[in-house]
Amino acid sequence: MFPWVYGFQWSFGYVLFLGIFFAVAAVVVSTLILAAWRSFSAFRRGRVPLIQWDSAFHDLPPQERACRHDFTGELSGRVCERGFDCRECATHAKLLQVHPPEPAPDLIEVSGLAIPTDRLYHRGHTWAQLQPDGSYLIGLDLIGRRLAGANPTFTLPTPGTPIIANSPALSLHRPGAEARILAPIDGIVLETAPPNSNWLLRLKPSPFLSTRHLLSGSELRAWFARELDRLQLALSAGEGAPSLADGGVLVDDLAAGCTPAQLDTLCGAIFLDE
Amino acid sequence: MIDTRKPAPAARYGMIIDLDRCNGCGSCSVACAVENNVPPPHPKATTRTGLNWLRVFRVEHEGRDAFIPISCMQCGEETPCQSVCPQNAVAIDPATGIVGQIPERCLGCRYCMAACPYQARAFNWWDPQWPAGFELTLNPEVGVRQRGTVEKCNFCHGRWHAARQQAAANGENGPVSYQPACAEACPAQAIAFGDLNQSEFAAKAAGHACFRLLDSLRTGPKIVYKTSSASLRNALQESRHA
Amino acid sequence: MPSALASAPAASIDRRFINRGASRSTLARFSLWLLPWFGLLALGAYAMYLCLSQGLFHTNMDNRYAFGLWIFLDLTIIALGAGAFFTGFLLYVLRNKELKAVINSAVVIGLTCYSGAMVVLAVDVGQPLRAWFTYYHPNVHSMLTEVTFCITCYLAVLAIEYVPLVLKNRQLKLRPSFLVFEWELHKLMVVFALVGTLLSFFHQGSLGGLFGVLRGRPFVFREGFAIWPSTFFLFILSAMAAGPSFVALTTWLVEKLARRRLIQAAVYDTLGRISGKLLLAYVFLKTIDTLLWINQTAPGRGFPAHRFYLESAFGTWMLFAEIVLFGLLPAAILIRPSWRARRGALITGAILACLGVTLNRFVLTIQTMALPTLPFDRFLYYSPSWQEYAAFGAIIAYAVLVYSFSYRYLTLFPQERELALSSKRS
Repeated sequence: MFPWVYGFQWSFGYVLFLGIFFAVAAVVVSTLILAAWRSFSAFRRGRVPLIQWDSAFHDLPPQERACRHDFTGELSGRVCERGFDCRECATHAKLLQVHPPEPAPDLIEVSGLAIPTDRLYHRGHTWAQLQPDGSYLIGLDLIGRRLAGANPTFTLPTPGTPIIANSPALSLHRPGAEARILAPIDGIVLETAPPNSNWLLRLKPSPFLSTRHLLSGSELRAWFARELDRLQLALSAGEGAPSLADGGVLVDDLAAGCTPAQLDTLCGAIFLDE
Repeated sequence: MIDTRKPAPAARYGMIIDLDRCNGCGSCSVACAVENNVPPPHPKATTRTGLNWLRVFRVEHEGRDAFIPISCMQCGEETPCQSVCPQNAVAIDPATGIVGQIPERCLGCRYCMAACPYQARAFNWWDPQWPAGFELTLNPEVGVRQRGTVEKCNFCHGRWHAARQQAAANGENGPVSYQPACAEACPAQAIAFGDLNQSEFAAKAAGHACFRLLDSLRTGPKIVYKTSSASLRNALQESRHA
Repeated sequence: MPSALASAPAASIDRRFINRGASRSTLARFSLWLLPWFGLLALGAYAMYLCLSQGLFHTNMDNRYAFGLWIFLDLTIIALGAGAFFTGFLLYVLRNKELKAVINSAVVIGLTCYSGAMVVLAVDVGQPLRAWFTYYHPNVHSMLTEVTFCITCYLAVLAIEYVPLVLKNRQLKLRPSFLVFEWELHKLMVVFALVGTLLSFFHQGSLGGLFGVLRGRPFVFREGFAIWPSTFFLFILSAMAAGPSFVALTTWLVEKLARRRLIQAAVYDTLGRISGKLLLAYVFLKTIDTLLWINQTAPGRGFPAHRFYLESAFGTWMLFAEIVLFGLLPAAILIRPSWRARRGALITGAILACLGVTLNRFVLTIQTMALPTLPFDRFLYYSPSWQEYAAFGAIIAYAVLVYSFSYRYLTLFPQERELALSSKRS
């Protein structure tokens, strides 16, 4: 195998054979090292949250990756390829020029849900609301809250933690189900919510904040309708699925009628947690 | 690897087996086993799992039995077993032309056995065992082989070694002459052993009554058979003429 | 978290490891399914222990029949496992995105086939502890050396390809280091696909060459190109043809057992089409090779080919079965789009194609050993011992177990969720 090993020959066949072998071994080992090194540098540069979201997004079925302009009817059948991040999306920018957002009433009603339009919504069912002092409040939207139930437990980041849009910033715990929840915007945590408030975090937004990827105004109606549809679909997996609606209105605690397995599935579908 | 810087001229040992003389007594097999420390067959061994470096086949031919001793033919051209061995456990000694099997290197994959057209190789299916006391009769010149390795005839390589050493002690440098155990033991003197590089022996081996088994495979076997019966000759080379 | 896990019942722990949205049978049912396979594994492990500790006399192989059931089936499963490299090559190198739906499954199949074959080989050789000699003191002229080098290297590549699947398990990926490493490794997968293709080419070929070079066995000896006999190329082609068929077949089997759709019909169609076309090419070349062998190679070495089919259980019908019944027929079924479109026909074609490659490996090992070379020798019979069957059964059990666990806890079929969603919607 090596020149100093008994039996080694400096013949063409021998050198060629072992040359190919050592080349293959070197390629395999160096590729592994490269992957390890790139992982290491991802950690060093703080790219981990982005990779986490990229990876989860990559695994979503195409139906769940529909572009926001698909459910408003502008671009039928378009599947998002950039992790629901419209901030850099050329198509989105172009469409904004063609169809500027229409003004919407303060409350939009979808299947009994009264959706306030004074805030920006993230595809992972969180919202961000600009406060007079320039900070942003972050909270769960109506569907998210119903999934979280009456007495949810959250693991929240401590004040001072930087968080990145689309990265898993907090997590929800319910008996039988856990879900990580995606941050809607970039910023630094200023404070976490006192008990019984309708928000979860107060953020100092990043100086380069863009909220272009968040949903607002008139498109919320189509989006919420679609999300309720998706919720029902995710729930119909098991036999004897409970109904989500109680007399046409979404029940307050969705989890109450679900098995832990169903709740788990619902959380995955709604909070985009793969 | 065999050292190729051995002193020239090289020998090319071979055998002429006279089928007219062979009566199938099996002395050659027994002598071979004794010489080469081939253990007695395991109680459960069959004719196909026992260890034999030299087997005597019985062939019915025209109402009579012909006996054909078969051992490793020490193929000299494109030796089928040598190139297939993955770990160089088969090595041809250029000084003797003997195809050596090195049991210490053998993986026991049996690829060489599949490659051998004469099926002259045997595998140690069991741990080698001798009856109590028999270890005293083992030949100290020849190593015993482990379970799970392949072995075969090597023209009594131990005897060749002894002859070489004797010759070296006498200051001689060149091919030596010796007799393997089978040739020595044959009561009918059916086995003639010699150096095919010597013209006298080579001429005998090329006689008109001589033929080689499976010559058509072009592996250059160095055991030559001889019979005055043309029909037996033809029958034993049947595949070639069919 | 560990204490919470410990107090939770097994079923709820189990559920935490199953992907969201993937419905799997209950833990009890799953355990019941595993039970007989573990039994078979234990029996086979005992048989292997007997062979390793006491000797290979536990098999029915002998000095004349040096290769038996194990070598035959090793060759077969390695050919069937070729789906792993070939699917990887088509997906990562030729960018056939459709095959993403089955690549994970193909990797698991490849890994189990190759690792299983390696285990059986380790039992099959008489001195497994000396296997390192082949690396340290290789005889590069031996096809077996090439096979050993390539298969071990390729097994390492398959293991590396399997790592991302494991790291994507629902619980494991919660660790950022695992997820990030998986992400980075997956991006470099094309390198492994290429290396795997190179290695597979050589070892699939060398497995064929293993027999083609046996100049002492005129039944298998073949002329060829440079140092490679024709069987070298035929083995590569037949493995490439059978691989996608086997992937389709296993997927179909899992669909039937799990009672759900796992891949889109278009993927079946692609697998069938690729398999059919390659099979046709194989049958064509195999026919030419057989004609050359009958008219030139075999008689040239003193053995008229017809003699191999006389006075034995293996008549010329073997040749017919190999080339027409299990070659041309499945190729025709798989190539014709309207036939291939029917699932029953496609699966029949895939089964026939896999049987064809199996029969080819059978002919090269079992039939070759059975045929005598010496003119006064007789046809040899051999039937494997229970230890040989059991040891191989253990490999099948091992493969089923690894596959079952992988199917339950990993994402083998990325389209599964999508298909479940769309079936609900309709």
